[in-house]
Parts: sequence; structure tokens; C-alpha cells
Amino acid sequence: MTSTSFRRYVLFAWVALVGSDLRGAEPTPADWAFRPVLAPAVPPVKSAGPIDAFLLTQLESQKLGFSPRADRGTLLRRVTFDLIGLPPTPEEIGAFQNDTSPRAFEKVVDRLLESPRYGERAALFWLDLVRFAETDGFKADDTRPNAWRYRDYVIESFNADKPFDRFIREQIAGDELYPNDPRALVATGFLRHYPDEYNAVNLEQRRQEILNDITDTAGATFLGVTLGCCRCHDHKTDPIAQKDYYRIQSFFAGYNPVEVPVDPKAAAEYDGKLAAWKSKTEAIRAKMTDIEKPHREKAEAKERFRFQVEHSRLIDLPPEKLTPLERQLAAMASKQVYSDKRFAPTMLKGDEKKNWDAHAKELAAFDADKPKPPAMIHAMTDLGRESPPTHNLKRGDWRKPDGVIEPAFLSKISTIVPKLTPTATTPGRRTALANWIAGVDNPLTARVMVNRIWQQHFGKGIVASSSDLGQTGDRPTHPELLDWLSLEFVKSGWSVKYLHKVMVLTQAYRQGSEGSAESMKLDPENRRLGHFPRRRLDGEALRDACLAVSGQLNLKAGGPSIFPDVPAELKGSGWKPSADIAERNRRSIYVFVKRNLRYPMFALFDSPDRSESCSRRFVTTTAPQALALLNDPTMLSFAQSLAQRVMKEAGPKPEAQVERLFVVTLGRKPTTEESAALTDFLQRHKGTPTEALVDLGHAVFNLNEFLYVD
Amino acid sequence: MTRFSAPSRRRFLQSAGLGLGSIALAAELQAEDANGKMHHAAKAKAVIFLFMEGGPSHVDLFDPKPELTKHHGQKLPASFGRVVTPMGTGGNTLLASKRKFTKPGKSDVEVSDWLPHMAGVADDLCVMRACWADGLNHVGSVCQMNTGSVLAGRASLGSWALYGLGSENKNLPGFVVLSDTGEVLGGARNWGTGFMPATHQGTLFRPGPSPILNLAKPAGVTAEQQKNKLDLITKLNGIHGRERSSDSELNARQSAYELAFRMQATAPDVIDFSKEDAKTKEAYGLDRKETAEFGHRCLLARRLVERGVRFVQIYCGAGSQWDAHGDIEGNHTKMCLRADQPSAALIRDLKQRGMLDDTLVIWGGEFGRTPMSEGSTGRDHNPFGFTTVLAGGGSKPGTVYGKTDDFGLRGVEGKMHVHDLHATILHLMGLDHEKLTYRYLGRDERLTITEGVVAQEVLR
Repeated sequence: MTSTSFRRYVLFAWVALVGSDLRGAEPTPADWAFRPVLAPAVPPVKSAGPIDAFLLTQLESQKLGFSPRADRGTLLRRVTFDLIGLPPTPEEIGAFQNDTSPRAFEKVVDRLLESPRYGERAALFWLDLVRFAETDGFKADDTRPNAWRYRDYVIESFNADKPFDRFIREQIAGDELYPNDPRALVATGFLRHYPDEYNAVNLEQRRQEILNDITDTAGATFLGVTLGCCRCHDHKTDPIAQKDYYRIQSFFAGYNPVEVPVDPKAAAEYDGKLAAWKSKTEAIRAKMTDIEKPHREKAEAKERFRFQVEHSRLIDLPPEKLTPLERQLAAMASKQVYSDKRFAPTMLKGDEKKNWDAHAKELAAFDADKPKPPAMIHAMTDLGRESPPTHNLKRGDWRKPDGVIEPAFLSKISTIVPKLTPTATTPGRRTALANWIAGVDNPLTARVMVNRIWQQHFGKGIVASSSDLGQTGDRPTHPELLDWLSLEFVKSGWSVKYLHKVMVLTQAYRQGSEGSAESMKLDPENRRLGHFPRRRLDGEALRDACLAVSGQLNLKAGGPSIFPDVPAELKGSGWKPSADIAERNRRSIYVFVKRNLRYPMFALFDSPDRSESCSRRFVTTTAPQALALLNDPTMLSFAQSLAQRVMKEAGPKPEAQVERLFVVTLGRKPTTEESAALTDFLQRHKGTPTEALVDLGHAVFNLNEFLYVD
Repeated sequence: MTRFSAPSRRRFLQSAGLGLGSIALAAELQAEDANGKMHHAAKAKAVIFLFMEGGPSHVDLFDPKPELTKHHGQKLPASFGRVVTPMGTGGNTLLASKRKFTKPGKSDVEVSDWLPHMAGVADDLCVMRACWADGLNHVGSVCQMNTGSVLAGRASLGSWALYGLGSENKNLPGFVVLSDTGEVLGGARNWGTGFMPATHQGTLFRPGPSPILNLAKPAGVTAEQQKNKLDLITKLNGIHGRERSSDSELNARQSAYELAFRMQATAPDVIDFSKEDAKTKEAYGLDRKETAEFGHRCLLARRLVERGVRFVQIYCGAGSQWDAHGDIEGNHTKMCLRADQPSAALIRDLKQRGMLDDTLVIWGGEFGRTPMSEGSTGRDHNPFGFTTVLAGGGSKPGTVYGKTDDFGLRGVEGKMHVHDLHATILHLMGLDHEKLTYRYLGRDERLTITEGVVAQEVLR
């Protein structure tokens, strides 16, 4: 399409979208998100809180309004899934139905926000944003054994309602700002989730790709701007110059991935014990080393040969002779050359092997004295007080440096020169960046987070492109509301729980999910929220819901990730189901995130691949999803447990079973029509009553009503 | 046949108290949701789109440029003006192709020595040398080649075909996407339906020998048991849907169940290659490491189309693997080795079976590559002029259509924008791109947005 016709089309679409009432109104300027947040006047709308007032003003301009309120059962199911990612229990449903106090719903919301399950739900969206995974990606896809601590950190932070500005500071500069807080060190894992081809030969390119990933993810996550395009050229449309991209990147230039002990005392103890074991076993180990040496050296030489000479030679030089950049490159090369992988007993043959095996056996006698390695944190820090220079790269090409760039912020927002205060071991750059992002004057930060929480509750953000508030993104449907909420957010002390609460207590949130014929006609995309948008459960919530209603959910929180069973076809692709069955039944947030083999149920139901930041998931509807729910043995085992639970709680009578089954799974009693169909199914079933009930439960897991939230 | 609107027809089926027997009937609704019939006689009943993701280099594959060789090391003449490319290679020197081109058949089609197997079917090919597109980057351009727009949110080519024609096989998805182990840039938006009902979206199969997980009933569950279960699901979904009739996603999910049930019976046969003879497997390169994976999916595509699947899209190099910025020789040697033999085998196999006449094969990427060098040995993205190849399905065999300039940078004659390409593909399928519309937000949306001209010159 030619650009003229495209413009014509966009204009047409825009007019169709916003309708006649907005024509003539002041259009939202393209760089709106970079302008300061100003306190908007709340429109005077009778018996409506501020949020509803903003929404109703737009609806009423088209003579529309909210839909009638959702019934209590629907509302409870909606808010429970939204806030904790699980269905309400029959007891919770009963309590809410019977609570006649005007604060009944607010009490429910408070209970949910106080539940430890809340953080487990809130974390999922954050982990999508920060492309959290527990493997490297690329072909090798090696495991990152300590990455899970970051997941726990996120869950705990949401549960504690950690002020969001502190949450930002910890993730960008936890090592500099709170060096004695192990949680803040875990938080820096945010900077380490980049996919990494650890065995890449071109070290400078690998370094640049890591830095690009960190810059892009930080930009998308915290600032809601797609900095990525500026890597190669000035952003055609956003007021973000190419130099700005490398300015932001320069804050990370001295990056140094490290594993640090959770508890320094335990680590010291370990070192002591290890030294003792070493001295006891010195003679044996020396003999083994002698055997290994030629093989190891040969492999090391071969590995070394893969690199450019100017890189591999850096390994041999004393660190103080190296520039910061050379130290970064040397660290990468040396990790590969001297990797544990350079020697394996399988390299040995004949006598060598016999002798080595014998020594290994002798050594094993001291295993009891060998201490277990201490718990470690997958963290990020800087390699020293001095950072490597950052260059403006011509067209994003690392081979084409074009002038040195000093740390600075996005020039459209702030031209203040960052004040850097080095720590003993770092340049203090990331602290400066974190303080700028988390500062109350930053016009993007609060807007971006408010918009994300809005998206969680209303399906779409006030700005639909929730990681792109720039000109290439969508315009806000309710700009004043977004600003009003942003100011409230900061005023609340950056409380995310506060945001949840004010949003779900609105009339907008409590309305029904069927729009009037008039609103479907005038606003088919429901941009004005004339009804509540129905939502399909994501794969994670679906699995959790199945586990919960079948009475099998193991609520154990935290710790290393777990591996549920996978279909037979996937066995042997590096996925070994957890030995302990109870472990397999823990919440989805604890399922291991392997980049090259995502847990099939999650992948089928549109979970992102975690190789880059994802701010909003696609929703697809496909036959393979139906096949999984119908045929996966795991689903059948859920149904079996569900049947047992129902029999235990309802007794042998089909009518009672059917009612209990519905209450447990769908949160409501069946209608007479449904009840008839269900009991008829049970009675006509050719198997035992238990088998009949298993099939019935399995069918319910497959219902639209189970999979969708009204 | 009397036209019911989809929901009313569905309601009729339910109120008539039909059980699973209704599923087959309900499946017809899928086609009925669409405009329903062809606008003119179709040449192509099915399409197989071999998508070379990342941008294969036309000047090294199908569009020889002697002038480029002559001017190797020089800059583009000033008459070309300023050329904007993503990596800023506009001012770089020209890079001659190291390939040798021949006219391997009787026609004018020229193929380079990187594609010796495609050379063997040269006279079946219709080579469109002056394609062009709007996007400079991968995500937008892959999206445009699939949906007509560089922005996400519109329906994909396969979805439009399915919407327009339905599928001939009610027991398999009508639009199947076969990806390799990489992630297609932009993901589901490329086979999604955007504003259209979700029923028409592409179904992604997994790479490898088990393209569909959980295809078999769980051990110990009888056919009758499952049928009864599905009847109950259908019935209860019907009750649930009564007050939610405006939600196309709920309807689509019910259709997905019906389709899943039927797939159980038919799909195992599709993915079981045991009845394919050794010669066929060898032709597709299943016996060789470099070609086995892509060959497997090409053969699967033929088997799908054989069974009436309307649209199959195969990604070769998902995740921009043809993106030879740094080293055209190294990258394309590898990628061509992977793509060449299975692509040619597919065309030959379809022909032998008499299927090529009504199966359109499309071969190409989201854009081509620049004649200018990037670094010393790479090529940058080139959406200004690139080659897309058709075979069969009513396309004109042994044809070269369109021309790029002396260096292969821009299309100069017989230019085909992506919209023109889409219009032409729909035309071959019996669909008029201006009449195939879907009403959304008060506007009759179509694949080609407001543009698109059918290239009569490439029609048989």
C-alpha cells in the first residue's frame, strides 16, 4: 500500500473507531507519554467514583452506560481468578453469598490481596515482561540452576506490596544500593535473563547482544518504550534519538554476571571445609590431575583456537593490565576454555582409565568430608569502578563505533547530567538510572505500571500496546483516567495492591459481561468498557484450577522449580518429571521454564516463549488445545481425583453429586435443565458409578464455562 | 441451500436435540460463516506456502545480475538516490554474486547453482522478479507477507482463504502452519484472524515426528465413552452460549472440539509415513541430515493437501534464519542445502500425482537482499525488489515476470506489491480480492486493504 493510501486508511479506521463524538476534540499528541503527568479534573458524574466517572463520561457521550451488575457468583469467580489465579472454593462462595454487609465485596478483595496466592499470580505477568527463564536458550539451552530465586523474589515482593519504586531500584541496582540484602542481589537477576549463546565464538558480538537485550528489556519493562528500534537509527516517530539508546545502554556497559552466596557466613564455612577436604585428598587428586592433564590441555587448546587471537590472548594477561572491555571479553573466553566440560572420564582409555577409576574410588572414600556447595544467587554487578566505553553504533553494528557516548537519560524527558557516585566495586551507574526511572518526576514509569494492572483486570490497557506508549503504540482511550491513576499510584507510596483495589471496586469491574445490542453496535471492540470483557484462562491458571478443584493442589511456596509429567512424545527431551508426585502438583508458577521446551499445556494456551519481553499474550483457539484437554492423561487423572472428592463430599446420590460437581468447578449450582442432562449422563453411563463420575468431571473441565471467566 | 445465520443454525441443531451426529453438520457452519462460495472458477484448490523466513537473496538465487558483477566494489550510480536500509548499507559498495546461473529447462527461468534441485523443475516455475513490500524489519515484513499489513491485527492470507472457501476436509484443520524449531517472528499474529472469527485461524503443528500431541484417546477410554462426553460438552456449551451469542470465540472453541474429535480419527493416518515408499522419502531428503527436517514437513504438507486441507504454510528457517547480514556465502549455502531438495521434491511429487494443476506452491520470504554489501560479505534487507516463485495451481509455468534494475535493488517492470501478490493468489483460488470482504467497524475489510491488482501475466 502506498503511504497516502495507508494514511487514508488509518484516518478512516481512526474515525470509525473513536466515533463522531471525539471528532473535533483535541487529539492526544503523539508524544503524550513523554509529557508530565498533570492532575486531571475528575468529571462530575452522579454516584460514581473517580474511575467510573471518567469511564461513564465517554460512554454517556454515546448515550451508553455500564451493563447491569454481574451476579455475586460471577463476580467472585472473576475477582478470585484475577487476583490469585484460582477459582473460589465452595466455602468462599457461601460466605460471600451470605454476607449482607455493604462492604462484602471489599472484604473479599482484601482477603484475596492478603493471600500468599496473590503474589504467585501477579508474578506471572512480571515474569513474562522480564523474559524470565531457567535455561540459556539457543541450541545448547543449558540450565541456570539458581535462576528460580528471582521468581521467588518477585512473588514475595508482590505479596509484601513492596513499593514499586523500591522494586525497580532493587532490580536495576540492588547490588549497589542494598549490598547487604541478599533479596536485592537476587533482584538483579532481572539483568541476567537474557538468552545467551554461551559458546558463541564472536565475543564482542555476544557482548553487544547481551547489552542490547538488557537495554531493550529495561526500556520495555519499566519505561514502556520500544528502545530496540533506536539501536539502528533514530526512532522515526518517537522522540527517542539513537544516541539515547546508547546512553541508556551505557549504564549497563560494565555488566558482570556473577554467582554470589546467599549467606556469606555459610559460604565461608564451606570454603573452610573444602580446604580441609582438599588437603586430606591432595595426593590422590594430584595423581588424577596428572592423568587428566594432557587431555584437558588438548581440549583447552582446541577451545582456545576457536576464538580470535586478540581475544584468547587476554586470558593469559594479568587483569590489572587489561582495559575494562578486555576484562569482560577475557572473562567470557576463560569461562569456556577452562570449563569443567574440557575433561570427561570418557576421554580415557586402557591403563589411564583403570588408574583414574581406581583413584576416583579412593577419593570417594572422603565424600563424607566433602561439603555441599552453598546456596548461590544468580546475580549481576559491575566488573569494577570503571566501565568500558559505550559507542554510538552506526546502524547498530558493533563493528562500527561512531563516537563515545556518556551515560544520560532520555533526552526528551531529562537533560540533567546523571550524578554518578561510585561504590567500592562499581561505578554507580545503574543506581543513577534506577533513581531516574523510579523518580516521581518520570512521566513514563507510573503510567506504564498503572496501565499494566489495568490490562490485567480489564483485558486491554488504557493504552492497548502496554509496552509501547510511544508514537508507534496505541493512543490511550482514557488519557485523563490514566494520569489520575498514575498520580494516585505515586501518592499511595507506589502501592500495587492499592491499584488493584481501586480498580476492582469500580462499577466498571462489577458489571456483567454481555453488552447491550446498542453498545455492541457503537463500540464493538468495547474500548469504552460498556460491559466486562470475558476472558479465557491462560494455561497456567487452567492447570492451577484443575489441580485446585480436584483437591490435589499442593500449595507449597517457593524453592527450585518442579517438572510435571509431559506427554510420552516429549520424554527424553531434557524434561524429567519430578520424582515426588506431590511436587508435580504445585502451582504453575513453579513449573520449570525451559526455553527450548515449554511445558506443553502452557505453550498450547499461548504462554510466550520468554526469549524477549512480552507485555500481552495472544489468545488462540485451536483443535490441539481441545485434544490436550480431552486426551492428555494428566487431565484424566485430574478428573479421577475430582470424582473422588465429589463422592466424598456429596455421597452416592447422582443429584447431589451433580450439584456438588458444579459448585466445586463452576462456582454455581446447575439449572434444572443442566441437572437433568448431567444426571442423565450418569445414569446412561455403562461403567461403574465412579467411572461415570470421572467422565462427567472430565467433561466439565472441557466446558467453555470452566475455561472462560465472565 | 437455505442460509441460516451461524448462531440461529446452531440453535436449531441444539433445539432439535441432535447429539454428536450434529457435529458433522455443525462443521459445515464453519464454511457457512464465510461468504460461502467462489467468485469464479478456481485453478488452485489448495495452497502450500514455503516461507523462507529472514529474506533469501534473489540476486543469488533467481535474478542474475551481470551488471552487478561488472560493478563489484563500486557504489550504486548516483541516479539511484539515497537508499535507506535497516543497516544503512545504502552507500556501501556493490557485492557481486559468486553464484553461477543457468537456464536449466526449456523456458527462460534462470536458477543459480545454490538450487540444483529447483533447477530440475525450472519449467514448472513462475518467477516473479519484481515483488516489493513496505516494511524494512523482519517482524513487520513477515506480518505483511501474511496479513497485508506490517502492523499486527489483521487476518492472514490462509484465514481469508479458509473464510472464503472453507475446507474440503472437515476432519482436519483447514489451515495448518508447520514451523520448525525456531519461533516465527511475531508468532501467532501471522496465522491469526485479527478481526475475523477465530474459527478461521491457522493451527500450528509442532515440528518433529509428533506434530500433534495427545492425538490418541487416553488408554482405557472407549470411542463410545468419548462420544458421549463430547455430546455432553456440546449440549452444555450450547446452554452456556445462549446468553453469550455475540462471542465468536466461544463458538470457535466449540468448533475446535468438534474438529479435535474428528482429527483423532484422521490425523494419525496423515502423520504416519509408513506407507510412503522409500523412493518418495529419499526424494524429499528424509534420509539426509540437512534435509530431513524440512523434507518431513514438505511431505506432510502434500499429505495434508491430498486430504483436502485448504492452506498449508511451512516455515523454513523460522526466526530469521535466512538473514544473511554478515556472510551471504556461509548462510545461504547452509539454508539452500536445507530448502532446495525438499522444495523441488514437493513440486515434482505433486506433479507426478496430478495434483500440481490445482495446488499452488509459493516459495519466498518476506523480502530479498541488497546488491550492496553489508560488512564485506553480507547483504542487507531489500523490500524494494525481490523474487517470489509460484508453481502449479494455475500459475504460468516456465515464466519470468517482472524485472528489477541492473543491480537487483528495485523492481522496475511488472512490479508486484504484496497486495498484488495476495490478489493474485486469491484469484487463483477462485476468489476476487475486492469481493472477499468481512464487515468490521462499519467497513468491508479485505486482505488487500484498499489496493491490489491481479497480475494477469502470471496466470496460465
